[in-house]
Amino acid sequence: MEILAKIAFALHALIILGGALVAVSSKSLVRALVGLVVTFFGVAGMYLLLATPFLAFMQILIYVGAVCVLVFFSVMLTRADGEGEEARPVTIRHRFNALLAGLVPAVGLALVLIRHPGAARDLPVEVGLPALGTGLLEQYSLSFELISLILLVAMSGAVVLTWERKEKQ
Amino acid sequence: MTFLAAIPSELIHIVIGMVAIMAFVGIHVLVLVYAERKGAGHIQRRPGPFEVGPHGILQPLADAGKLIGKQLFTPTNADPILFWMAPVLAVFPVLLLFVPMPFGPVVTVQEVNLGLLLILAFAGIGVLSTMLAGWASNNKFGLLGAARTVSQSVAYEIPLLLAVLCIAFQKGSLNLSTIVEGQGSWPWQWNIVTQPLAFLIFLVCAFAETNRAPFDLPEAESELTAGFHTEYSGMGFGMFFMAEYANMVVVSGVCTALFLGGWKGPGIDGVWWFMIKVYALLALFIWVRWTYPRVRFDQLLNINWKWLIPLATLNLLGTVFLMKVF
Repeated sequence: MEILAKIAFALHALIILGGALVAVSSKSLVRALVGLVVTFFGVAGMYLLLATPFLAFMQILIYVGAVCVLVFFSVMLTRADGEGEEARPVTIRHRFNALLAGLVPAVGLALVLIRHPGAARDLPVEVGLPALGTGLLEQYSLSFELISLILLVAMSGAVVLTWERKEKQ
Repeated sequence: MTFLAAIPSELIHIVIGMVAIMAFVGIHVLVLVYAERKGAGHIQRRPGPFEVGPHGILQPLADAGKLIGKQLFTPTNADPILFWMAPVLAVFPVLLLFVPMPFGPVVTVQEVNLGLLLILAFAGIGVLSTMLAGWASNNKFGLLGAARTVSQSVAYEIPLLLAVLCIAFQKGSLNLSTIVEGQGSWPWQWNIVTQPLAFLIFLVCAFAETNRAPFDLPEAESELTAGFHTEYSGMGFGMFFMAEYANMVVVSGVCTALFLGGWKGPGIDGVWWFMIKVYALLALFIWVRWTYPRVRFDQLLNINWKWLIPLATLNLLGTVFLMKVF
């Protein structure tokens, strides 16, 4: 079973990386969005591998079913094509900066993992939905509420941004 | 034989289940195409398909042969990868939606504790495929259809989820089989009696989410040619067609399990009760499609935001309140 789990992990990592590569490298915004969807599915697969089906289905329901659909809607309304004003030619300096920005967290995480290798874990056990609910609303209620606070801040930020743009016109 | 024994039985179970689902969906698409065309005919006082076979019963096969035989075109300046990805994305997730469906006491492909959530999550991919189809066609009708799909299905998903949540709260489970087992054999023991408003909201949203008339705005043929699938020929269109009918079967199945007692019924419980109820709902779908005119787009959104969402929210709050009190 352990070898199967490793194969599944590698497969999902490949899906995530492949989707991410499409998302950052394609000129068409809709293709990039499809890459993002593939990444979300890979992450959902990882959640399933960790025996947390609730998180996996929520990932698909919220990120694929709602977030991506709304992103697509805004892309469609703005008619953003690959030849927009931000599509300038990529210089070597850009590539170098991008590589640096990507490598720093990757190397940092890898160093931590190599220095403190995790002990071999048993296959994860599925936590039932009632236990998850009580955990979120009792033990971890503070962090749970803080997350919704962040969402509230983001939402009011979006409202403020559109408000200012309206006044200028 | 030792090699065969090494395959885990769960895997064999899933493979057999998926093959059965594909056969089930294929047969039901054929039956529904015939039923739809016959129903349309009789409602409009004409015989419907009559030439191929007795009473035109072989008409769906002829249709399928025609669709398979047609040449596949990709429009100029369309995005070929996204264009052909869309019909595939429309059909395959639907097959997955049948996995947790409780056809009978033991007839379920795979018992999933979060079966309801699985269906709701993967049903969202259908919206994605419709959007991709409309956008990748490089056609203004397609784009308009895609824009309508997004605003329609995002809006109608909210009351649908709220209505489903009422049942989930009441029965304390997201497993469709458990929800069915929580209902009795007689019609007055079904969830529709305790949650009539949730049932109505679910039904209205089901019409909108499956893009069926009177809510078939994304493909409104009188104004948008064929909406999001205008540019698709042959099996490209055929796959969207299949997905629409398969989605109808899924929605009817979920509605049966949630509100109409699933496989339970007077007399002997079993698969037949489930299928009878599903067929009754499908007949309702066809009946409504050929009876009511299409609504206007502003009407469609007004029904949702001004009526369905407030009603569904109140219904959910009422359900929670009553559950706390009693």
